[in-house]
Amino acid sequence: MTALACARVRVLLEAYVDGDLALTDPESAKAVRDHLSSCADCRRQHDQAVSLPFRMKALRSPAPPAFLVANVMSSIAPPPRASRGAWGLLVPEALLGAFILWYLSGLDGLSALASGAWSDLQGLAVWGSGSAPLPSIPAADVLLLGAFIALMTIAAYHLSVLAKLDQAATTHLRQRHRA
Amino acid sequence: MHAQAAAQTLLMTGAPESRAIAAGQLARQATGGDLDAFEELVRRLQRRVYGFAYQHLRDLDEAYDLTQEIFVKLFRNLTRYDVERPFEPWFWKLAANTTINYRRKRVPVPTDQSSDQAATGGGSPGAAHDPVLVDALAQLDPAYRLPILLHYYADLPLEQVAQSLNLTVPAIKSRLHRARAMLRNSLAESEEAGVQ
Repeated sequence: MTALACARVRVLLEAYVDGDLALTDPESAKAVRDHLSSCADCRRQHDQAVSLPFRMKALRSPAPPAFLVANVMSSIAPPPRASRGAWGLLVPEALLGAFILWYLSGLDGLSALASGAWSDLQGLAVWGSGSAPLPSIPAADVLLLGAFIALMTIAAYHLSVLAKLDQAATTHLRQRHRA
Repeated sequence: MHAQAAAQTLLMTGAPESRAIAAGQLARQATGGDLDAFEELVRRLQRRVYGFAYQHLRDLDEAYDLTQEIFVKLFRNLTRYDVERPFEPWFWKLAANTTINYRRKRVPVPTDQSSDQAATGGGSPGAAHDPVLVDALAQLDPAYRLPILLHYYADLPLEQVAQSLNLTVPAIKSRLHRARAMLRNSLAESEEAGVQ
């Protein structure tokens, strides 16, 4: 009888400790109370049941790693605009490069450019001596010069973007390494 | 800036209610694309989420992975958050679901190994200050451990635990009672073994 009563009491202990049993089944609550006053084993279980919620609330865990927040933010942050810009810049660069290559037409084009530049310099020298008027510059050369300057400007900006990206990646890697 | 100011106010008040309100405010701001607010929200929740993940998985690396996954999922699902409703139950429901799915795809870690890691893996010195209870918790079925951790560790009221796990309050109460009874039995067995 005692063993059965103990088994029954232990099933009801948590509801008894929370006060639910007294609300839903006052008679059983009273029976548990009476049993506890006379059974040392069940009283020990009752004490355990009373202290358990407090022990669980008092459980400690290791502190989260210091880099957790930074890593979460780097996982969710949209790809930096610089990286999109870096890819986007390849389009005008490729177009300008193709135009210049097409205009120069390989080695023949280069030698033609060199001889043209040489004759331009000669023309300028003659103009400087006062024996001839200022030579006229072909419109195609102005276009080529403009394309070249544009290519250089975009390439310089592109390099600065890539340098920033590299710096960001290095910082990120350093964080990961420290982690 | 707004997020930091809100955080300052919060630190000064410190009451659980105001914490809940502030977390909701941060979530609302984050929903509007305010990354500073989201960062502050993560900062605010990280200790509880990491502790919850650690107590559930008993492994520092896995707890870190799960915590990160929960926060990334939070960010991706922010648009689904109804700003008229309390934030915490919604968040913990998402955290609980992520945890359940994480466990499904996870390779189980042997208890001995995780205990060793808990003791030596660079956690706080108090990580295993109640090793008997920690071991007993580790042996619980996840269906029982999750409500226990949400209620007693993450400090959610029963109603919010019920919402988080898609169960009724009586069902949660019943699970908590059952889980506590199992823990009590494990603790009693450990004590008996210790005495012998």
